[in-house]
Amino acid sequence: MLELKHDLRLAKTRDEKARMNFVSGLRAHVLNDMASGMRSVYDADVEPQFRREHKRAPKDGPEVHKAIKANDYFKFYSTLRVTAQDMVWQSVIPPLERNRPELKQKAAKLSGKGKARGTLRLKPNFEVPRYVSAIDVHLMAGNYDGEYEKDDLAAGSLYDNGLAVFSFGLMGQNLDDIGQSIAGFIRLKYPNLKPKKILDLGCTIGHNTGSWKDHFPEAEVHGIDVAAPCLRYAHARAQAQDREVHFQQMNAEKLDFPDASFDVVFSSMFLHEVPKKSIAKIMDEAYRVLKPGGLMLHMELPPNSQLSAYDAFYLDWDSAYNNEPFYKPFRDLRPEELCKKAGFDPKKYVQFVIPSVGWYGEKVWREAATRPPEVDSDKTGRLTDGILWYCFGAWK
Amino acid sequence: MSRQPMRRTIRGGRPYFFADPAIDKVLNMVVVLASEVWTLRERLMAMEAIQVTRGGLKAGEIDRFEFKPEDEANLAAQRKEYIDSLFRVLAEQVDEARRSQPAAKPVTKPAAKSARKSAPRKKK
Repeated sequence: MLELKHDLRLAKTRDEKARMNFVSGLRAHVLNDMASGMRSVYDADVEPQFRREHKRAPKDGPEVHKAIKANDYFKFYSTLRVTAQDMVWQSVIPPLERNRPELKQKAAKLSGKGKARGTLRLKPNFEVPRYVSAIDVHLMAGNYDGEYEKDDLAAGSLYDNGLAVFSFGLMGQNLDDIGQSIAGFIRLKYPNLKPKKILDLGCTIGHNTGSWKDHFPEAEVHGIDVAAPCLRYAHARAQAQDREVHFQQMNAEKLDFPDASFDVVFSSMFLHEVPKKSIAKIMDEAYRVLKPGGLMLHMELPPNSQLSAYDAFYLDWDSAYNNEPFYKPFRDLRPEELCKKAGFDPKKYVQFVIPSVGWYGEKVWREAATRPPEVDSDKTGRLTDGILWYCFGAWK
Repeated sequence: MSRQPMRRTIRGGRPYFFADPAIDKVLNMVVVLASEVWTLRERLMAMEAIQVTRGGLKAGEIDRFEFKPEDEANLAAQRKEYIDSLFRVLAEQVDEARRSQPAAKPVTKPAAKSARKSAPRKKK
């Protein structure tokens, strides 16, 4: 299990650490070994059976899902994955519950004057959209916005520590592999891009927001989210890591920023958490707040149109079983059309597949900036050994 | 707002995969139990390591103990074996599938470099 290094990390007993280690190992087993096993079972049994019945291969993810559902291996894979997902959060809650008073004190100290350079602005009567307030996304009890006391930041800590267990090392030592891989890639690929202002939409605990400050230290970096406990935690976390980031409570569907005020508008693992109607509004807003010549970039799961039927099924699993109701509907959309509808010139559409810098190392990652790889159907956007991050967007 | 304990139940419930949801529930219990068995093993190893190092134990010593990097790596390898053996019964179906399709392409290609510190994986 990954140990967080910053000042907000939880004090854990030996047993609590061992439980987290177990869950991380269990997830690595399910998502690497069992996922690979399920593919073999599919190739040997499920797909041939489908061919016998239909005289053709399954055409898309839903057909694969339907065909594999009755298979015992799929059932064990799925129920173990749900169990492991649940155990991620259950392994964090007991030490977090015990550490809550201390966590609050630490955060207050970090947010105070002195070393602090970043800012935090919350809105007292902010309305959290129902697609966040009504569900426990990826089985995380309390979701991003749940509050259990005044000025609470427990949900932020649950997410940070949960991700450390969940990611079994694939999201980097500071859980910022996405941010580091992508912000660094953009800097290498576009050496003339000198952004003055960068915005991260749906930033949660700001774990990937800070990477933009690392790679573009001259830029003013902002992160927005709807969930107050995550933003409080994000602010304290950034302060603890000495990163100057400005966090504000805002809905990405209706930003408070003026027109043409940002050079880069970014998001990661965000669009698949919101309904289609909201995605359209978010894209419109990104276009509005971007300066001409600015770059919009969304790190996301790859669209179904670019995956094989089996890999589409594999990623759609979350939508069906991991409380991710908007995940498949998003992945059924075509990213280039989303950009076009928001007003971007189709000729200025961009798409990248970026090797994880943590997994592949600097050399492979640097080479990719000159020659980005294509979507690799069984690696792109999938939490597995050899992960590749997918992103799309457009220049304004 | 007065201080409340954190919620531990998931809104919307959890999905079930077997014809009888009791099977999913029993499996969940088995895995939680497996986690506790692992936790005991890790604690025991910590205790042994301390005994060897210092020849005795003090109160709270195990909770404060940190493994040396080489012990951590050893533990991670053992944990991987432990989890593999726990689910060996499921691997049988995969072995059979692979025997019937010797030319099936491997899904996970060897990666260039692992960034993971906590769970080094065996190369098979």
